Amino acid sequence: MTYIQERGSTHVYHVNRMSKEEMDHMISLCVHDQPAYCVAACPFKVDTKEMLFYAAKGNFKKALAIYEKITPFPMILCDGCTAPCEEKCKLCEIGDGVSIREVERAIVRYGESGKRSSVFRIRKKKKAVIFGSGLFPLFLAGELERKMYPTTIYCQEENYEEYIAAAAHLSESDCRNEAKRLKSMDLVFEFGCSLDPVFIREKMELADVVCASEEIAQKLAPQEEADIEIMLREQARIVSGSTQSVMDAAFSAKRAALTVDLLVQNLSPYSNRGSEGAVTTRLYTNIEGIKGSERIPCGAEGYSKEEAVEEAKRCIQCHCDECIKSCVYLSEYKKHPGLLAREIYNNTQIIMGDHPMNKAMNSCSLCGQCTVTCPNGFDMSQVCRSARENMVSTDKMPLAPHEFALMDMLFSNSEAFLCKPQPGFDICRYVFFPGCQAGAIAPDVVMDVYEDLCRRVEGGVALILGCCGAISEWAGRYEMTEKVNEQLKQELAKLGDPAIIAGCPSCMKQLKESTGAVVTGVWEILKEIGLPETARGLEVPVAIHDACGARGDVHTQDTIRELLTEMGCTVENTEYSRDLSPCCGYGGLTAYANKDMAAKMAAKCLERSDAPYVTYCMACRDRFVREGRESRHILELLYGDHACSMPDISEKRYNRLMLKEKLLKNIWNEELMMEKKDYTVTYTEDAIRMMDERMILKSDVERVLADYRESQEAVLDEETKELVARSRLGNVTFWVRFIETEEGYLVRRAYSHRMNIMKRVGQ
Amino acid sequence: MAVERNYYTIDPEGKLTCNKCKVPLVKGKAKFMYLENGFPVEMPVCPKCGFVYVPEELALGKVLAVERALEDK
Repeated sequence: MTYIQERGSTHVYHVNRMSKEEMDHMISLCVHDQPAYCVAACPFKVDTKEMLFYAAKGNFKKALAIYEKITPFPMILCDGCTAPCEEKCKLCEIGDGVSIREVERAIVRYGESGKRSSVFRIRKKKKAVIFGSGLFPLFLAGELERKMYPTTIYCQEENYEEYIAAAAHLSESDCRNEAKRLKSMDLVFEFGCSLDPVFIREKMELADVVCASEEIAQKLAPQEEADIEIMLREQARIVSGSTQSVMDAAFSAKRAALTVDLLVQNLSPYSNRGSEGAVTTRLYTNIEGIKGSERIPCGAEGYSKEEAVEEAKRCIQCHCDECIKSCVYLSEYKKHPGLLAREIYNNTQIIMGDHPMNKAMNSCSLCGQCTVTCPNGFDMSQVCRSARENMVSTDKMPLAPHEFALMDMLFSNSEAFLCKPQPGFDICRYVFFPGCQAGAIAPDVVMDVYEDLCRRVEGGVALILGCCGAISEWAGRYEMTEKVNEQLKQELAKLGDPAIIAGCPSCMKQLKESTGAVVTGVWEILKEIGLPETARGLEVPVAIHDACGARGDVHTQDTIRELLTEMGCTVENTEYSRDLSPCCGYGGLTAYANKDMAAKMAAKCLERSDAPYVTYCMACRDRFVREGRESRHILELLYGDHACSMPDISEKRYNRLMLKEKLLKNIWNEELMMEKKDYTVTYTEDAIRMMDERMILKSDVERVLADYRESQEAVLDEETKELVARSRLGNVTFWVRFIETEEGYLVRRAYSHRMNIMKRVGQ
Repeated sequence: MAVERNYYTIDPEGKLTCNKCKVPLVKGKAKFMYLENGFPVEMPVCPKCGFVYVPEELALGKVLAVERALEDK
């Protein structure tokens, strides 16, 4: 038996199989963290979605805190807000959009201002002065105070109330409240100033940055116009802004504050400004199944607290989770694919240290469902597959999660491998390739199909029993895949490069890519030559589970449905069928790397219907039966034969060997020399169960016992009188606990570990 | 003199016998090796032939946990 070389853990070298640019492009396809439509439309980028979320819960304090993040004077801003967000509300497409402005007003009215955090707020050294009053100077004063500039405001007004009143038309009580807010800020006011040019020039000398209302700025630098992008008269170095509307003033003040930041650092006020104002969003939100509704009517007084809560509850919290809602893998990791892909990619870049995302990259079933459900075609399977290959190429990929499956592939392509032309033919027109799982789970069905094809298809049908290489492809072991491809190409050449009749959609896909041969599904051939006489549909309605190997292959999907109809089956329509079909958990070797996840995947597939499932992939059929659901492979129905019921891992190997032996005998009249032992090995039920769970094959146990017979090396447990023998087979040490019987051995327990153990000498 | 460190110790307590040498296993020095890492341990060992016994609980417990941790290094 050949074994796979285990890696070391101290090698340091690096190969990239997916460049950073390719990964960045892939990640940019995920729109999960794009802003909601309302947020993107707001020039202040207020997190409206989050604000409505808290308002809907009646938490006005938190909602107000979100609003206060973007403006120092929420009451003035919400009073003059023109709500560009409302027309972008997704609900407008199916009814009334959320009345965001009225909810916002209610939040400001009913919300209680939280305490301002004083942690890490250190005053800046550069001083600013603001001359004049009005909306722009008021908002700018607030913005500069937030940025911790020591700011002095010179104005003609006599007190805070007058200063507020000069800026905004508020009711008396609102004016008082905002004046109180202004007073509590860390600002110095010089009231009752004359603001004549001499006074201003004198004060300007004392400051690092000069800001002024538009009227005063015009007086100070009449020959210069302010740049409206950066709010600056560059020659005079005076920051100013218009006061046409509340929105304008507040937005200009934000721009002006950024200009101040850049000026005091002696940086160009034109560059490094980031994104200012409203943006466009690439977000996708599926509103299928959401009913449109009317907004809660609002009186002249605005919403009551309860009305505001009700209106906020209408918000659907726009987001994109198209891929997550149908994929067990993504929903289990609770991460949107953009983030998960980034973390997996980073994992491949770690040279020394922990690789925390190994399990995550090995748990994806590589089924490609996300590429169909994602509005932008994000392909998580490509990310995980390339990450696995990267880990393999850098010798960082642990062998443990995939070794059993890889060894199984080696077994399929060595001991259980068979390649023969149809008797009477040297060169064949076709070759039947049932796939390794068909031979392992339904050997009798494979036999029936091959005999039928030989009988009814002209030009000769050869047979290849083996693995197509999908196993190593999924494991990221590209060198092993290349070897399989080479082997298959050589065998196909011997048969005269026939067209392949595949019995499994995954093989079909893999062989098309790897051998370049013409590959047709066996179902297609049967549709062409007519159903075998044995074909019988089920009497009850059935649900079809489309194989992930056939994603994007409408022709195969249609053919399966046509065959079922021809057999008289009634097919139930299910959600997530055809291209949207989820994976049963076998794909991508999930069943080996993350058993629990694979079980959840199978359960998710079965959620769609209570009817028996018809599959056209043997692995899906087997996994569904294990989850307790009646399930048939379409070939079972066509040939009236049954697959084995839940064969364990040893039976799956035995079935493949037996199939080879039986075919050689029945079709080619050849005897396969099977090794015969002169003793028996029997197993307790417990042993069988634990071996299947622990992925220990009967052949492994028998090797241990054969070694024991030769060396007599074992430990006798004096308490139970059982013997415990061990053998190192490849990268694993197998231990078998047994008793000797008259005919041979009775195995009671078996376990294994990968760690190698040896006696220490001279230490 | 440096104190010898063992990561794990199991004493056979006279309950195990080497089937080949017919002598009781004793607590002896052994070493676990995995992915180029080594750990000194004390396991039941045959004083004559050096057969080292790894009990099931250890293989499926501590050994498995260390294997997993090393695999992700």
